[in-house]
Amino acid sequence: MVRGMVVSLSMPVLVLAIAVAASYEGAPRVTSDSPEYCSSLAARVAVMPAARREPSKSLAAEGVKLCGSGYPRAGIAKLRRAVKAAQVEP
Amino acid sequence: MPDDSPPALAPPALPPGVRRPRFAESGPGAPPRLLKSAGFRFAVVFAAMFTSAAIALVAVLWWATAGALDRQTDAAIRADAVALGERWREGSGSGLAEAIEERLAVDIENEAIYLLVETATMKKLAGNLDRWPAEAEATNWFRTRVSHDGFEVEARLHRVELPGLRLLVGRDETEREMLRHLLTEGVIWASGAVVFFALVGAWLVRAVLQARMRPAFVTTAAIAGGDLSSRVALSGREDEFDRLAQTLNTMLDRIGTLMAGVRGVSDAIAHDLRTPIARARGKLEEALGTARDEEALRAVIEEGISDLDNISRIFQALLRIAEAEAGARRAAFGPFDLRPVLADAGELYEASAEARGQMLEVSLPDPLEMVGDRDLLLQAVANLLDNAIKFTPAGGTVRLAARRHAQAITVSVADDGPGLAPEDRSHAGERFFRADRSRATPGSGLGLSLVLAVAHLHGGALLLEDAKPGAAQPGLKAVLQLPLP
Repeated sequence: MVRGMVVSLSMPVLVLAIAVAASYEGAPRVTSDSPEYCSSLAARVAVMPAARREPSKSLAAEGVKLCGSGYPRAGIAKLRRAVKAAQVEP
Repeated sequence: MPDDSPPALAPPALPPGVRRPRFAESGPGAPPRLLKSAGFRFAVVFAAMFTSAAIALVAVLWWATAGALDRQTDAAIRADAVALGERWREGSGSGLAEAIEERLAVDIENEAIYLLVETATMKKLAGNLDRWPAEAEATNWFRTRVSHDGFEVEARLHRVELPGLRLLVGRDETEREMLRHLLTEGVIWASGAVVFFALVGAWLVRAVLQARMRPAFVTTAAIAGGDLSSRVALSGREDEFDRLAQTLNTMLDRIGTLMAGVRGVSDAIAHDLRTPIARARGKLEEALGTARDEEALRAVIEEGISDLDNISRIFQALLRIAEAEAGARRAAFGPFDLRPVLADAGELYEASAEARGQMLEVSLPDPLEMVGDRDLLLQAVANLLDNAIKFTPAGGTVRLAARRHAQAITVSVADDGPGLAPEDRSHAGERFFRADRSRATPGSGLGLSLVLAVAHLHGGALLLEDAKPGAAQPGLKAVLQLPLP
C-alpha cells in the first residue's frame, strides 16, 4: 500500500521536474569549441593560399586529425595556429 | 607545577585593618571590569589597527590584481568593439560578419566571444554564442554565465547597437575567476593568520603594559598600606615608564621630606616649649609656697607672664611661617618702596646695637620699588638684624645694605660674629634649628625659618655665606634675594 502511494506521488513530481528542466534554457553556449566549428575552420584554412606551406600545412593537418579523433578543442587550437601562421607568412 | 605566566595586575595583600580603595562599584548598569582596563583597551586598539592594516593590504592587493585584470579586459573589449564598428562603417553587415569570423579563427587563447544578430528578427549572422543573453537587454556592459568547453564560466560582454544590427563583444573570464578563487582562498587563510596575530599582539600589548605598570601599582599599594619607604623600581630602559617612576619617586621623596619636617617641627615644639612652660610653672609653684610677701609674689607672677608671652610669640612666629609657606599672604602683595622699610628696621635696631657697643652701618640706594608683603619683609629684615646683633661681639660692626640689580633686589645683613659652619647652613632654615655654637645664645630657632619662608613667598632665596672669608671670625652674611616682577 505504501509502495503504491509512493508511485502515485512520484509520478506528478517527475512530470513537474521534466517540465521545469525543459523550460530552463541554461546559460548561452559558446559554439567555437564544437566539431562543426572545427570543420568550418578547416575549410577556412584550406582556401588560404599560404596554408599550403609550412608550418601552416602541418598545423592544419594535425588540427584536422585531432578533430577527427574526437578532440575538437585541441584540433581547433591547432587550426587557429595554422590560420595565424598563414596570415603572417608573405 | 609552578605558574610561570606573567604576573597579572592583581593588587598585593594589604596589612590587616587597611581597606583597599574602591574606585567604582560594579552594579548592574556598570560596564564589565574588563572594559574598564586600560590594558584591555590598548589591546583592542592594537587589534583593530592591525586588522584595519590587513584589510587595507588585501584591498590594495585585490585592486592591483583582479581589478587590473578587469580593467584590462574592459579595455580590450572596448577596443575590439570600436574596431568592429569601424569595420561596419567601412563595409556593411557582411564585412562585419567576416571580421568577426576572422577574429575567431585566430583566437588562439580561445577567450573571445562575439554575436552579431539582426535587430528585427534576432537572426544570428556571425559569432560563437548560440543565443542572445537576456541580460543584454538591460545594460550595455554586463557579466553572465556562458557554457564553454562543457563548463559554465563567467563572461564579460558589451552590447553595441548598429543600424539594423546588434553586436555583442566579450571575453571569457575563466582566468579572472581562477585568480579570484585563488585570492579568496588566500584571503581566508590570511584572515585566520591576521586574527591570530592580532590576538597574540593584543595579548602581548596588554601583558607588557601590565608588567610595566606593576612596579608603580605595587609601590602605591604599599604606601597606601603604610610603608612610606617603598619606591618604584626602575627598569633601566629610561623610557616613559621609567620617567613616570622617577617622577613618582621624586614626589614620594618630597612627601617624605615634608612629613619628616612636620614630624621634626612637632617634636621640636614639644621639646622646645616644654622647657619654658615647665620653667614658668616651677617659678609660680615655688613662689606660691615660698613668697615672703605680696610684692615678691607679684614679681614672680610678672616673670611667669613674661615667660608665657615668649611662648605666645613663638606660636605667633610659627603661624607666620606657616602662613608664608602656604602662600596665604600673597593676597596682601602690593607695590611699595623697600628703602624706607629697611631704613626703619635699621633705625629700630640702631639703639640695640649701640647698647651692646656695636656699630650698625646702613647703606641703601634710593629708591627700591618692588611688589610684595611690606610687613613680612620688615619682619624678615628685623630677624636678620636681630641675629646679627646677637652674635656680634662688643666693638663689632653690623652692616645692612641693599642693591638693585636688573632682575632682583638683594638685601644683605653682615656681622662680625663667629659665623655659621657650612654644614649647618642647609639646616639654618629649619624650624627650631640651633647651631652648636649658638646653644648658649637666647633665641627660638625660628628667625631664619621665617626669613626663608618670606624669601620663598616672594619667589626669592636666602643665601648664607662668610662675611669675611678666611678670617678667624668669618662672620655671617645673610643675603635676601627678591626678584623683581
